[in-house]
Amino acid sequence: MPVAASAIYFLNLRGDVLINRLYRDDVGGNMVDAFRTHIMQTKELGTCPVRQIGGCSFFYMRISNVYIVIVVSSNANVACAFKFVVEAVALFKSYFGGAFDEDAIRNNFVLIYELLDEIMDFGYPQNLSPEILKLYITQEGVRSPFSSKPTDKPVPNATLQVTGAVGWRREGLVYKKNEVFLDIVESVNLLMSSKGSVLRCDVTGKVLMKCFLSGMPDLKLGLNDKIGLEKESQLKSRPTKSGKTIELDDVTFHQCVNLTRFNSEKTVSFVPPDGEFELMKYRITEGVNLPFRVLPTIKELGRTRIEVNVKVKSVFGAKMFALGVVIKIPVPKQTAKTSFQVTSGRAKYNAAIDCLVWKIRKFPGQTEPTLSAEVELISTMTEKKSWTRPPIQMEFQVPMFTASGLRVRFLKVWEKSGYNTVEWVRYITKAGSYEIRC
Amino acid sequence: MTSHRPADCSAHFGPAYGLAGAEGQPIRLGWSVFGEDNQPGPATSTSSTSFSLQNGRLGCFSLKFFNLVSEIQWPTFRPRLDLRVHFRLIMAPPWQSQRSSSPSQPAGKGEVADVKTQLRNLAGSRAPGVDDSKRELFKKVISYMTIGIDVSSVFGEMVMCSATSDIVLKKMCYLYVGNYAKVNPDLALLTINFLQRDCKDEDPMIRGLALRSLCSLRVTNLVEYLVGPLGAGLKDNNSYVRMIAVMGVLKLYHISASTCVDADFPTTLKHLLLNDQDTQVVANCLSALQEIWSLGGSASEEVSREREILLSKPVIYYLLNRIREFSEWAQCLVLELVAKYVPADPNEIFDVMNLLEDRLQHANGAVVLATTKVFLQLTLSMTDVHQQVYERIKAPLLTLVSSGSPEQSYAVLSHLHLLVMRAPFIFSSDYKHFYCQYNEPSYVKRLKLEMLTAVANESNTYEIVTELCEYAANVDIPIARESIRAVGKIALQQYDVNAIVDRLLQFLEMEKDYVTAEALVLVKDLLRKYPQWSQDCIAVVGNISSKNVQEPKAKAALIWMLGEYSQEMHDAPYILEGLIENWEDEHSAEVRLHLLTAVMKCFFKRPPETQKSLGAALAAGLADFHQDVHDRALFYYRLLQYKISVAEQVVNPPKQAVSVFADTQSSEIKDRIFDEFNSLSVVYQKPSYMFTYKEHRGPFEFSDEIGNVSIGTESADTVDPNRVEANDKDLLLSTSEKEETRGLNNSSSAYSAPSYDASSVSVPTSQLSGLVISNPSVSGNAPQSSFAIDDLLGLGLAVAPAPAPSPPPLKLNPKAVLDPTSFQQKWRQLPISLSQEYSMNPQGVAALTTPQALLRHMQGQAIHCIASGGQSPNFKFFFFAQKAEESSTFLVECVVNTSSAKAQIKIKADDQSATRPFSSVFQSALSKFGMP
Repeated sequence: MPVAASAIYFLNLRGDVLINRLYRDDVGGNMVDAFRTHIMQTKELGTCPVRQIGGCSFFYMRISNVYIVIVVSSNANVACAFKFVVEAVALFKSYFGGAFDEDAIRNNFVLIYELLDEIMDFGYPQNLSPEILKLYITQEGVRSPFSSKPTDKPVPNATLQVTGAVGWRREGLVYKKNEVFLDIVESVNLLMSSKGSVLRCDVTGKVLMKCFLSGMPDLKLGLNDKIGLEKESQLKSRPTKSGKTIELDDVTFHQCVNLTRFNSEKTVSFVPPDGEFELMKYRITEGVNLPFRVLPTIKELGRTRIEVNVKVKSVFGAKMFALGVVIKIPVPKQTAKTSFQVTSGRAKYNAAIDCLVWKIRKFPGQTEPTLSAEVELISTMTEKKSWTRPPIQMEFQVPMFTASGLRVRFLKVWEKSGYNTVEWVRYITKAGSYEIRC
Repeated sequence: MTSHRPADCSAHFGPAYGLAGAEGQPIRLGWSVFGEDNQPGPATSTSSTSFSLQNGRLGCFSLKFFNLVSEIQWPTFRPRLDLRVHFRLIMAPPWQSQRSSSPSQPAGKGEVADVKTQLRNLAGSRAPGVDDSKRELFKKVISYMTIGIDVSSVFGEMVMCSATSDIVLKKMCYLYVGNYAKVNPDLALLTINFLQRDCKDEDPMIRGLALRSLCSLRVTNLVEYLVGPLGAGLKDNNSYVRMIAVMGVLKLYHISASTCVDADFPTTLKHLLLNDQDTQVVANCLSALQEIWSLGGSASEEVSREREILLSKPVIYYLLNRIREFSEWAQCLVLELVAKYVPADPNEIFDVMNLLEDRLQHANGAVVLATTKVFLQLTLSMTDVHQQVYERIKAPLLTLVSSGSPEQSYAVLSHLHLLVMRAPFIFSSDYKHFYCQYNEPSYVKRLKLEMLTAVANESNTYEIVTELCEYAANVDIPIARESIRAVGKIALQQYDVNAIVDRLLQFLEMEKDYVTAEALVLVKDLLRKYPQWSQDCIAVVGNISSKNVQEPKAKAALIWMLGEYSQEMHDAPYILEGLIENWEDEHSAEVRLHLLTAVMKCFFKRPPETQKSLGAALAAGLADFHQDVHDRALFYYRLLQYKISVAEQVVNPPKQAVSVFADTQSSEIKDRIFDEFNSLSVVYQKPSYMFTYKEHRGPFEFSDEIGNVSIGTESADTVDPNRVEANDKDLLLSTSEKEETRGLNNSSSAYSAPSYDASSVSVPTSQLSGLVISNPSVSGNAPQSSFAIDDLLGLGLAVAPAPAPSPPPLKLNPKAVLDPTSFQQKWRQLPISLSQEYSMNPQGVAALTTPQALLRHMQGQAIHCIASGGQSPNFKFFFFAQKAEESSTFLVECVVNTSSAKAQIKIKADDQSATRPFSSVFQSALSKFGMP
């Protein structure tokens, strides 16, 4: 039995039930009490997302200030259950217009019950695609609680669509202006040792699309990845163009992508869903261009003083710039006084996270601002040894830069009516977990 | 307005108060506060305006509000306060009451009664806008239901209001009905009518919804009304309705299997499975059929044939060919089925794998894992290809770890851990993926540490250990501990441990108590495996002040090293002496036990320096309240008294280095977990039979007093009163359970021992022949306490009650056969005819290192084992035997605790009268165990 969820609960942080939906008879309505007394009210909370209590297993996830709990009594498929919760939350978000929290649930509980009925039947996941569900579950969220009456009948072919072969797109869409927006969003994960050697570095990237296209268009996307280019030159018996090619470690695609064609021809071709979606995800470990280098020196001068010097070097093109750069430099808990000198941006001491927070709103390429700070500590005997230095953490966004060097070579749109489309492409690199030990 | 309010209130609180009855205490208080403060004032007048917007309906929240206003007299803040409360009243009325809520909240009942009247008023109305007011009321009812307030009393009204064309109203009504029909079967009958009518609606949406609700009523005596609509639903030309009808069949099967089978629904489903256009219908058919045939009892031949058909080539190929059309969830389902399929030849295997290759690129992690399972299962017999599969699945699985929520990573990491245990090489070059990030939740970190431990090999050990050492200084202390343990585990796996030993010794110098504690335990294990490192380790360990070591495990490890290396460690006798002086302050029995042994060892190596401490330790040990400590002290005492050289042989024999530390799980269990890949088994690291309850039919209920889940009593129709305890269902004890029982034993044996004056013991040495103490006569003691001691020393043979004389000696069939299923069945049916506790002889206990030893022995006595498990000191066996002449069977559950040398036996027999003779046969067989 893959997933036969017996019940699903939505709880707030106090443990009050916001929504409960029992799908099967094999658990009692009060199983949620077991969750409350054995997980929520103990230190167990957050130590493990799967727990067995009695004969039942509980999967739980916290999303903003809500716990979503799935109860199963059989040997269920864990990955499937968590994926289901993630997808369900995405669905609710698309209905509520963004937020998913306690208030959103309270204000939309009837809608949630309706959706819970459709997305799972007798514990088996059914249809979770927002595109299709929105065709026949039309009740708007709080945005217009009383005014908009639901349509008396669903769109005539909605129910066919519910389970149709192209489950992610409905027919008969018309746009005046046919546009496609393509965003390549990469997040760089870095772990650097205090000696400056890279312990671990990889990039996880996403290709996000926003489609406003009429009819049933066929799209084809070309990237400068190694396999795709090689295959192409093979097919056209042309030598591979010089220039950088990227080796993707692993790629996953949205269900709309024709995977057979990808495997044989290495081209990404698909009929896109309407609106916004994530076309593909990829992972790269080789040849990553790190946008920033951080060179910290932290000296403990005696028992009550620490000298911090951090130099951050931007190593992308001089014409580009990074936005929203934040560098968090850890200091001991017993910090009493700090004083700074920065060559760019602003720094302050944040006692809540025990960090010096250095913010640089706009950070041009090929520059290296520095921060030097002096930290005075309250002298305590006991805590002297216990300062274990957490890593320096960094946040940033670099538009028009990809750490992997990935580029879109072409995006072709083909539709039988032969309209013209406008394509927009953006690149952005963000910090994933960018940690430098010091 | 103001003048109306009090009357309004009493009108609404009146019934609430009356209803509340015995539990009305809180209400009474609230009411009286209100009553006393019932002075018309500015506070109440402002509040009344806000209530008027609620049409004068007052509930518990309004009561609270009055309390608030009447108690807090802050004139300036009042208007703002009002605004806020008013806002909340409008926004989310029901939850306001939840602050103090218990499910049967009396004030809620007042509100329920109020809703009831309003619903009744609306029921017949056809006025415009009536649907909107109905909607508000329905919402209210549903929200009460959600919080746990019992709103079943408005059932009738809800049904009356259900005649509507508003689909949202309908849905709310269906939801309500589905929730309460089971407790109100009579009222549920009322709904059948309108549900059946809706099942014939022209809108497929309504047909589907009605059918789903109809099947969700779960009332046994209404099943006859289900068959018609379900049959029509399965033939409906709209796939939405068919999809729901298929699930409906499964629901019906759960309510009444016979009705479902009589209507021939499973056959219809089979037809739909292979012929329906719509993939969701097909997918639902698949889940329904799988469930129906797995529930249908394994015995039936027909059922197993059906199951085979589901796994036959045509069905599998049909599903595989359509797999791209299925939704991601349905794909998981299909892949799960394919993993069980046994292809005829290698070509077929490759075909299936080529077809599914692209599924590894799917964005849904569950699909990727399911595909992984298929690949691994199909290639089990082809070693080369199996290795290639590991290579192929590596990249997608690593992507899954780093994408998605931490919970998803956790699920994937559990699977990676399973894989890496089977094939450590697969991730050995990708170890950097398992480096922990600072902000990750601890459950992910913990699994990553396990992964790092498992992938460590000669080429990457240095990097991994360096990384692990970074974590030792982690802020999160449990993770820091885990990482030190991980370093130790790697050290025990490797041949080249130079660098690691240095690291461990550095830990000892870090001067953090938990780091020191963990490192000490590891150094001890390391020395057991690599005695050649003793010089280096001892030098560092010698510098540790025992005062800085508080944790029992670490202290025990330190003491062990002091005893073992007392020759090399200069101060050993004096440190031990200091520890013995503080005997009373030492709370852990484990530490005291180690102290006794260590001081003995030290004594043999450096007698003059230790003699005094040994005496003190033995005296303290004999007076110890803890049974084990007392026993060991007494044992040493007698041993020394008998002959010092023998004592030395026993306590301090030359040791062999441990080459491999025992694996906690048998390979059989590991294989079973692997078979259940992509399920909870992997996360729990135990096979499903250890944590699911197959026989269990009724709902799991949670009761606070027991703090556990008890089995529903209402469904006790099939099982007889002698139902097996949950424990017996998993014939093998799981690791965690073992630890629990062990802990239990420890605490339960901590009762104060029979008072025993050590000075009064004068055991004549002549009576002690060798190490095997036969039955010493202990002089100067009451017989009772001597019995107790005999027992404690495992000399129970003579003490055990003599078995009743059995005239004809029972003969057992040496070739008896019984399959596990019928064993379980019999075990469940038969009452316990004898329950007894035997004492085992010491030889038997000594020989019982693994369950297998006893099995072989008992088999020689014509008593066969059907299941066994456990680890020292707790073992559990299920035996059976048959009479030689007839087919009368005996079933035995035998739990052996080697530390207390007791065997608890429960016998069940077909022939009750033969129990006694059999018991004595069994006992004698058991007593012969371990004898040469």
